[in-house]
Amino acid sequence: MNTVIVRPERCVGCLQCRLACAVEHSRTKSLAAAIHEDLRPRPRLRVYPGRQRLAFPSKCRHCAPAPCQQVCIAGAIYRDEDRGAVDIDPHRCINCAMCAMACPFGVLTYAPLFQAPEKRAVALKCDQCPAREQVGRVPACVEACKVGALTYGQWQAAQDAKGRAVAQAFFASLPSAEETTAFLPLSIRRWRQLG
Amino acid sequence: MSRYVIIGASAAGLGAAEVIRPRDPKSSVTLISDEAYRPYSRPLLTYLLSGEVQPEKVWLRAPDYFQKWGLETILGDKVVQVDAGAREVRLASGRVAPYDGLLIASGARPRLPGIPGEDLPMVFTLRTLADWRRLDACLPEAGVVTVVGAGAVGLKAAEALTRRGLTVNLLEMGPHPLPQLLDPFSARLLQDALAGWGIRLHCHTRPLAVIADRGRVRGLALDDNREIPTDAVIFAVGVEPNVEFLAGAGLTESGGVVVDDYLQTADPLIYAAGDCVFPHHLLTGRRGAYQIWPAAVEQGRIAGANLTGARVRYRGLLPQNSISLRDFHLITGGLGPQETGDCEVSEELDEARGQYRRLAFKQGRLVGVTLVGDIGDAGIYFAIMANHLPVDQLAADPRAFPPETVEHIQALIKWGKKPVRVIETPVYEYA
Repeated sequence: MNTVIVRPERCVGCLQCRLACAVEHSRTKSLAAAIHEDLRPRPRLRVYPGRQRLAFPSKCRHCAPAPCQQVCIAGAIYRDEDRGAVDIDPHRCINCAMCAMACPFGVLTYAPLFQAPEKRAVALKCDQCPAREQVGRVPACVEACKVGALTYGQWQAAQDAKGRAVAQAFFASLPSAEETTAFLPLSIRRWRQLG
Repeated sequence: MSRYVIIGASAAGLGAAEVIRPRDPKSSVTLISDEAYRPYSRPLLTYLLSGEVQPEKVWLRAPDYFQKWGLETILGDKVVQVDAGAREVRLASGRVAPYDGLLIASGARPRLPGIPGEDLPMVFTLRTLADWRRLDACLPEAGVVTVVGAGAVGLKAAEALTRRGLTVNLLEMGPHPLPQLLDPFSARLLQDALAGWGIRLHCHTRPLAVIADRGRVRGLALDDNREIPTDAVIFAVGVEPNVEFLAGAGLTESGGVVVDDYLQTADPLIYAAGDCVFPHHLLTGRRGAYQIWPAAVEQGRIAGANLTGARVRYRGLLPQNSISLRDFHLITGGLGPQETGDCEVSEELDEARGQYRRLAFKQGRLVGVTLVGDIGDAGIYFAIMANHLPVDQLAADPRAFPPETVEHIQALIKWGKKPVRVIETPVYEYA
């Protein structure tokens, strides 16, 4: 399953992803029109201060098994078997906040949604842009990210690449072969210096 | 081929079945329930009452769920005895279900206070779909309804009834609603909300008798010599485990099934999960009756795995409650205010936004959380609590006030005001 991969060390906190996400989840899907909609569309990922107060983008990881899905008392949270993404049915959601207690990443927000106008608020989180996925486009936040903090791909591949990068960085930090010299007794070194 | 029998087909029972099925595909899994329909969500019953949820949305699983998962069912039949020697479950209809592994997930039923008149027709509890059907059918006859017990169910039921235009009295024994969970600040926010919806809250009161006139409920006599007129009474004063069928089996103690850290009972073939168990507290290790839905699901999944030969330890139950009534949201977790006497407590109240946060710390670890209003981060706090993370090593130490707040406190001191508790929290929402 392809998923959005977050590289927090690259994030500069520009919040373009939040804007793109809100627009993608609006009725009109255009920024100029979305800001005039009755129910202002809400972004489904957050960027907040992490370690050393650096920007940290946080979004749904589509866990398997998903704790939010297991505790949902309304049966509103389900896994889309074809896409692998965990999604919320706004017509079933009762805004009970059980999922907020279950999610260790704090990705859920509660706000009104145009698909379910009769509800005061429903649980919102990343749905990995199903409309875009259908036509082979990457999620809106990934498209918006200019610094490569959000990419789209297999998480296993990303993990492997990260592992290789760490290993390379580790070996690069070791003294290089040229610098390393075998131990020679002082007398021989002096004799060689005489040239 | 193993035969697994699960007594109960709600949160814990389903959780177990869905773990057993893929782990042991050749086995037979039988779910027994005394209710004759497919699994439904008990917490949704109060939402049915208010009309927020339509009856067809109460089902937790699709109609073909049991066939799809290859689960056998015995529905509408009650378990009368578990014969551990013969490895059989005996049912009221005379049927016998032999097992190689048994899970007791029989849940709990509402307790009644044991007062005169509680068997009258207009006296209700709300735990099963049948309870709701009876209540829903009888409510049009009532104008005033009294809910006894301001716990999670009582509060939601009272709020639901006000939506139907009924006059609602809410009785509570303690000094405020949810006395075990709330401190005076969050209780006040909740009480303000209740008053705003027109719920008449009576604290420090207990009912002594249901007063009836020719078989019709007329009022409720209280222990402070008052009598409140009412047409119907709903008791929501807690639940007790369904364990009668275990009488003489030696598996129960003080009304609940006794399990070890692996949710196994004294009989190695029998496991138990859900509301019929008194699990241990994740932070204190004390056993108690908590009866919460997420814990039942988790216990069911662990017991299911252990039944099929795994050895997964249940880490313990972290009490967590979410009360969502209209625009009022409250989440509590970990130790309650009565248990945090020796803790470092940080409280932030933002009256303008109706937000409140109370965090209790002990030895540098988070042990208790109360959130009102802004509850989206609850899961992060719970993960910090459940994993005993030292808070000074987190990205942002939740004990440290943001710099803006520190300036605000200094300004208050300069103006001669006492800067206790009431703090304007800065907003970190980049919307």
